Amino acid sequence: MGSPPESFEFHATLSHLDQGLETLHESVERLRESTGRGQDDRNLMRFEIALAEIGANVLTHGRPAGTDHPVEYTLRHDHGSAVAAFVDRGPPAHNSLSRGMPDAFSESGRGLPMARSLLDELGYERDGEVNKWRLVKRL
Amino acid sequence: MSLDVQTRQADNGVTVVAPTGRLDVAGAPTLKDAISETVKNGHPKVVIDLEGVSFVDSTGLGSVIAALKQIRSSAGDLRLAAPNQQVRVVLELTTLDRVFPYFATVEEALTGF
Repeated sequence: MGSPPESFEFHATLSHLDQGLETLHESVERLRESTGRGQDDRNLMRFEIALAEIGANVLTHGRPAGTDHPVEYTLRHDHGSAVAAFVDRGPPAHNSLSRGMPDAFSESGRGLPMARSLLDELGYERDGEVNKWRLVKRL
Repeated sequence: MSLDVQTRQADNGVTVVAPTGRLDVAGAPTLKDAISETVKNGHPKVVIDLEGVSFVDSTGLGSVIAALKQIRSSAGDLRLAAPNQQVRVVLELTTLDRVFPYFATVEEALTGF
């Protein structure tokens, strides 16, 4: 008998955009399998969209040019919720957190507003030289 | 998973651009290049066949908006076809389903275009 779904935990160190995004989607696929959910599960799909948005931001801006600091990523299934965390060494991100959805013909700026509306909790904390992100979605 | 883009000409002269893979921050430039090439070749009526797109993010969506603007500036038009459930969720969430009325199949998108 395998581990119960509540014990699901995934950890990765992300160093490249393409590979990092692949890893994020793979982690959700493993969570999907672990919790016996289908590809059309709306809550997990919404979580995956938010995760990819924050993940893309972190992988793009969280690794300052000229440095090779990787991004630490964890995904857990905790009491019926998907809980993800990123730790990166990019510049502070406070200013981008409160942005609203841009107008229809804008080509950028939707990632954070989308993630906020899809998640039950989007936490951000600047801790010394690192950014800590926490994403929670009840499944 | 990199994005692959195939382009073909339908019988009525409309160009069908068919990306396959994830249309995200990593794949969006490939779609932009394909659309630029299509507009440059003078085929401003374009259907983007999304059947092969497994996942779209905000940057991928931005590349579709860029495509729409580029095509309309050449007096053409753009339709979207066959988005999966995840793509429809993103279109609805961002209210872009009002900008891009989408069609269930490529054939439907081509009809009367």
